[in-house]
Amino acid sequence: MKKIFLIIILFSAAFTGLQAQTYKTRDGNIYFNPNKNQGNKEYSALSKEGTAVLKVETSEVALLVPMKSFHFNNALLEEHFNENYLHTNKYPNGTYKGKLIGFDKSMLTKDGEYKISSEGKMELHGITKDFKSPVLLTVKGGVATFKCDFPVKAADYNIEIPDLVKPKLMESTPLNATISFKMN
Amino acid sequence: MKRIVLLSLAGLFFAGSVFAQDDLLADLKSEDSAKVKENITIATFKSTRIINMHSVEMTGEGNLQFMIIHHFGAIWDNNEGATNFGRLFGLNAGFANTYMSFDYTPIRWMNLGVAFAGNSTLEGTAKFKILRQQSGVHNYPISVAWVSTANFYTAKSSESPNDLYWNRFSYLHQLLIARKFSNAFSLQLTPSMVHRNIVAYGIENAHNVYSIGIGGRMKLKEKTALTFEYTRQLNMYEDIIDKTGEVVSYSPNLFSIGYDWDTGGHIFQFFLTNSAYASNLAQLSVNPVKDNFGQWSLGFNLNRSYSVKHKVKTQ
Repeated sequence: MKKIFLIIILFSAAFTGLQAQTYKTRDGNIYFNPNKNQGNKEYSALSKEGTAVLKVETSEVALLVPMKSFHFNNALLEEHFNENYLHTNKYPNGTYKGKLIGFDKSMLTKDGEYKISSEGKMELHGITKDFKSPVLLTVKGGVATFKCDFPVKAADYNIEIPDLVKPKLMESTPLNATISFKMN
Repeated sequence: MKRIVLLSLAGLFFAGSVFAQDDLLADLKSEDSAKVKENITIATFKSTRIINMHSVEMTGEGNLQFMIIHHFGAIWDNNEGATNFGRLFGLNAGFANTYMSFDYTPIRWMNLGVAFAGNSTLEGTAKFKILRQQSGVHNYPISVAWVSTANFYTAKSSESPNDLYWNRFSYLHQLLIARKFSNAFSLQLTPSMVHRNIVAYGIENAHNVYSIGIGGRMKLKEKTALTFEYTRQLNMYEDIIDKTGEVVSYSPNLFSIGYDWDTGGHIFQFFLTNSAYASNLAQLSVNPVKDNFGQWSLGFNLNRSYSVKHKVKTQ
């Protein structure tokens, strides 16, 4: 009896110990508005289907966004985004894989705001580029929210913007990712 | 005790292997969540028309679409000889049937339109999206839509003897069943029924005219495509007595071949077809017999969408 008890304890210890290190979410928000006039939301889009994983022990993070989950105000623009700009049939996902810098697992146990950063590789439209950006981590009530504002230059990722549209848009599109992990 | 250690080691090993994540991204990719929840097939056709016929596509939600359809004169008249060049294959012949329409999509699955349909007729159209081809949460292999058109004849000389206004109406109902087979190839099957409130007397004459059509699109490049249509009329095309008492026959075959060009804002569709009529109702019921290829005509559809209402899904 004692043996079995021990085994159970050891098993559960092994499981919980490892499990606590990895958090996952399936409803990360990624928003962008490339308009020069930020009040104009014509070309802006939002995805609520970002999937992300955080491995606490190694500070590793990964994010995957199905490109078709970006929805626009204008149905026609959404079609163009998928068909002509991002070719989402061929390149279905935008991804990021990297490390959090300045992150410590003790941050997750104490409510507050922490300024950290992240470094890694981002893949978009079939092209992978180095990525580096500050990240704001907010821990409150058992939820860790990572916020990151970063620019993406369409030309860097081989995304062709028609000359007709270009004057209305910024050279670099500001993106905003908000990823929340529930920790219990 | 040895056994316990062994077992717990095995346990640790097992637990470790389950949660070992050497590549977090590869793990994410292998999950279902890597796929969009509702992967709805887009751009089965580029326009709300394949060529002459309605396609399963609908103007986007909150968008107003303006469309002009032009059918020019016959491309070549055998009796005219060299003067055909002056007529520029019908483009400069001084004859064209024009169709102008506005349509709006107030809710995702419904589109309402009004049109000046040529030959002093007005049209009202209602289109409903019944099924969208998609994978993910739901799996539907086809898209299905329904379109109904009411046509009103406004000119003074009505076919109606007492000029009853309801005799000026005719209707078209079509079921549109389409599938996008690949990124480049789509097909649509279109059974149709035309109902005319008034027809002349005669054994062959009927109120209801049925036809079945097939249409397709083959993408050439990023923004260009070849399109084709064939519709076969099933009844009421031989030995019809028209309103003047003459016996006439119509062509049961409606052929069209076209070229789509998407400029981003506009969609241009150039085509060659054996019907000069601008309205589907006329094309599918009283299409004149063509003796030779020269009597076919060139034409184009041009449409432009305006975003009227924002869906406001963004922040």
